[in-house]
Amino acid sequence: MKELTTDHISQQFNQELEMLRQHFLTMGGVVETQVENAVQALLEAQGELAEEVRERDASVNQLDGLIDEECTRILAKRQPAASDLRMILSISKAVSELERIGDEAKKIASLSLTLMGEGETHRGYVEINRIGQMVSKMINQSLDAYARLDVDLAIKVANKDRKVDREYETALRSLVTYMMEDPRSISNIINVIWVLRSLERIGDHARHTCQHLIYMIKGVDVRHVKAKDLKSELEDAE
Amino acid sequence: MSEEQTHSIDISAMQRSQQALNIEDETVCLSVKDLHLYYGEKEALKGVDMVIPEKKVTAFIGPSGCGKSTLLRCFNRMNDLVDSCRITGEINLHDSNIYAKGTDVAELRRRVGMVFQKPNPFPKSIYENVAYGLRIQGINKKRVIDETVEWALRSAALWDEVKDRLHESALGMSGGQQQRLVIARTVAVKPEVLLLDEPASALDPISTLKIEELIHELKNDFTIAIVTHNMQQAARVSDYTAFMYMGDLIEFGDTNTLFTNPSKQQTEDYITGRYG
Repeated sequence: MKELTTDHISQQFNQELEMLRQHFLTMGGVVETQVENAVQALLEAQGELAEEVRERDASVNQLDGLIDEECTRILAKRQPAASDLRMILSISKAVSELERIGDEAKKIASLSLTLMGEGETHRGYVEINRIGQMVSKMINQSLDAYARLDVDLAIKVANKDRKVDREYETALRSLVTYMMEDPRSISNIINVIWVLRSLERIGDHARHTCQHLIYMIKGVDVRHVKAKDLKSELEDAE
Repeated sequence: MSEEQTHSIDISAMQRSQQALNIEDETVCLSVKDLHLYYGEKEALKGVDMVIPEKKVTAFIGPSGCGKSTLLRCFNRMNDLVDSCRITGEINLHDSNIYAKGTDVAELRRRVGMVFQKPNPFPKSIYENVAYGLRIQGINKKRVIDETVEWALRSAALWDEVKDRLHESALGMSGGQQQRLVIARTVAVKPEVLLLDEPASALDPISTLKIEELIHELKNDFTIAIVTHNMQQAARVSDYTAFMYMGDLIEFGDTNTLFTNPSKQQTEDYITGRYG
């Protein structure tokens, strides 16, 4: 399983798989930047950057279509088997996760424009910054895991999602307190909560991406296994 | 700003790399015009019109008896050998009609080489098999023949396997090797077109993949037309695919489109195995 895209007798097949992998990683890079920029636009009140993120979501969607088409064509023409088949299936699914991360980044960018319009109170921004960094790192590491076919890293990233969820819960509780103290801030804080919610979803999508990778390498479907049980589940399967 | 630049990606370049081929953009190698072929009373080809693009792989698929092998054999006039066979229409190789009076059929068959289903090496040495066509052409210089034999065997991805036993009998090779030897023999006389009639159907899966990879390599130098019963093989090796049924050309188009979204229901039914 070291190298997925070499060693086929058909050089053309090797090339097609390598191209697919490259395109997937490129899309991952774009999505990662989208999330970082969206969060930065919000925290630093950069309207232009937010607009840019919204516009660039079209490229993300284009890449999604392009990679899906590639998968379809390889399935139709090459009838891949075993690890090749799993690679196509898992990339096809992981691409949808990336596309959804892109959508969340766009939502955050739109919300940041709304928040800028309302005049910022900066409540919840510390939490947004912290969770934003956590999920950016998750995306980065999950792409890394794809590039290196690293199962251990994938498990680690999937486990991090629990921490993101806990941070999200904590942030929510403190924002609820703010709203109770100052009902005038409710509309503003609800938007902040939407941002946090998007970030939390991004964490979920990053975890799913890793689960698809584990399926690709190990052939074990771990989508419905709790993150903390991942390791033992994989050991059992071996 | 620098961050932005690193992620500014050229999506249109990625799209270009996967655009469907377009037959209009190709150089025409063979063109078939209103070709009818009769075996006695039976009409085996019912007016076929198509072009075979140069330096591309064109595959013919269809059920048994649909006329795909018959059409392939028209390209180098192998059907002339069948007594009751009658042909109307035209096939042009570049600009000359190969069915015109005065066509040198032996020369035509040098320009349009053919490989059959069963490997048919001559009961001679590996070297002599490949040199055979050259000797017939009257080439006698040992140095020229040596060079051509090596080139042909390399083209057929066989050189490394046989270079130490060139003078052993060709009949001692495996089926897959024999088929590649036959391909080497065919390319040795530098044809323009290679016709392959089920070149891999008598071979095991790995030898089949080797032949397919070879076909992919050979299209850099030759125009290739291949008949195959194996649809997946057509999908893997060809740039263009023609689907034939009962003597008619039903659909002809670039392979990616034909195998992912064919335009005719009959094609769809055949390639999805819903044949009625």
